[in-house]
Amino acid sequence: MKKILFLLLSLLSLLICLISPFLYFFGRIEEGDYKWIFLLSSVGWFVFATLWASVRNKIQRF
Amino acid sequence: MNESLSRLTTRMDHLYEFDREPVSQGKLQTGARFAGLFAGEHVAATEFVIGAFFVLHGVSLRDLILGLLIGNLLAVLSWTFICAPIATRTRLTLYWYLRRIAGPGLNFIYNIANALLYCILAGAMIAVSATALGLALGISIPSLNDIFPTSFGWIALTLAIGLVFTILAVLGFEKLSRFAQVCSPWIFILFIAGAVALLPRLGVHANFDNFVEIAKTKIWNGVAAGGQEKLHLGHILFFAWFCNLAMHIGLSDMALFRYARSWIYGLYSAFGMYLGHFLAWICSGIMVAAVGREMHPGLMAFEAAGLAGAAGVFIAGWTTANPTLYRAGLALQVVTPNWPRWKVTLFAGLMTTILSCFPVFFMKLLDYVAIYGLVLMPIGAIVFAEHWIFPLLKIDRYQADKNKWMFNWKAAAVWGGTLVLCFFMPIHLFFRWLPGYIFALAFYVLLNLLRRK
Repeated sequence: MKKILFLLLSLLSLLICLISPFLYFFGRIEEGDYKWIFLLSSVGWFVFATLWASVRNKIQRF
Repeated sequence: MNESLSRLTTRMDHLYEFDREPVSQGKLQTGARFAGLFAGEHVAATEFVIGAFFVLHGVSLRDLILGLLIGNLLAVLSWTFICAPIATRTRLTLYWYLRRIAGPGLNFIYNIANALLYCILAGAMIAVSATALGLALGISIPSLNDIFPTSFGWIALTLAIGLVFTILAVLGFEKLSRFAQVCSPWIFILFIAGAVALLPRLGVHANFDNFVEIAKTKIWNGVAAGGQEKLHLGHILFFAWFCNLAMHIGLSDMALFRYARSWIYGLYSAFGMYLGHFLAWICSGIMVAAVGREMHPGLMAFEAAGLAGAAGVFIAGWTTANPTLYRAGLALQVVTPNWPRWKVTLFAGLMTTILSCFPVFFMKLLDYVAIYGLVLMPIGAIVFAEHWIFPLLKIDRYQADKNKWMFNWKAAAVWGGTLVLCFFMPIHLFFRWLPGYIFALAFYVLLNLLRRK
């Protein structure tokens, strides 16, 4: 369950990373907002993807 | 002399002992695994530099797109029809297969050459990371035509980063490799995000109606930067093809494809080529054009994605340098008697760190990539000839293995002769490997024709 949750959250973070520059390009958000969103969602990706990877490794090991 | 070389090669065999046996059926991997591996491996720190250099070398939009489409296709076909079939038939790494063909002595020289080339590549990656940190610290980076370090700040920065990367590689290579796996999808997104976010700065409208015009006039406008040679379609096509020459034609990726269920898995290399060596190169081209055509990966990414962008360049340099340091350390371990693993990695790291101070390796990355492939390419030709052509001509195979030769002198002559010939070829560096490869194939077959059964 945890594994799926971390996977979904990491993918969601990555999706936000991808969408945010397009929102800026199409004029929906300001440049500063885009950079903040990209930074925070990047942190989200690293946290959740690392957690997902560690849960996956534990399952594989035992 | 012969005795000490014999001791060295025995030690080298011990190091690679874990992959001595052919891969068994149960250990074969799925195609998805290959797709992921290639996509991750070919979206790296080098992509920030290579795509940007195409812009600085005055490549036109048409030449870029056509050259990359065809060149990358040729690279994929090289993996599929040259590297993967040999790997799936032998299920061996190049190390063990070359040992049978060229003898342990020549195999040893090949490993040392490979280690040195790896160190230079890792040094260039440290320099890429240094551009990101240098931005934060206000340290100016060397310019395009610099060969030697230009400031004390640059030397201090590259030395500091190199030492940190080395210490981290010594402390835990495997953990860093897992971290690199987490990084690679995000780095790919960073390329896309960076390019898209900088399009407004180049004047691209939100409906993309003027994108092609901007691309032709402001990005790939055909005007080379000062002191940079102008590149055309042929250069781009050949560069995309030989960028991983040591891996496909040079057969290094036998280590990977020996786990493939079929040689057709070579086609999965397209995931690396068209995501990394097409899309990521285009994105870094857009980024460099938007920052005034300054070869500064740290600045490019910072302007494109802020703090996360600069951090991305730093991390990309780190995660690319880390496995390169590991491979260099592994190859060097054979000449460092009784040294533990950490000490060899430290030695390789220190050597790499010193090299990273010299901007020539980073600023001349395109030429370095060409030389790297060129140096190792004749070995691929020798193995190809022995594997496919010798049986057709009824030439006895694996003589070095059967006769317990330390050196296959014919293979050594072909390797050295090909490099000398390539050095004197009156054509552009990017084009030399192909006639060199054909020469190496023909020369090795000719030298062995006397051994026909």
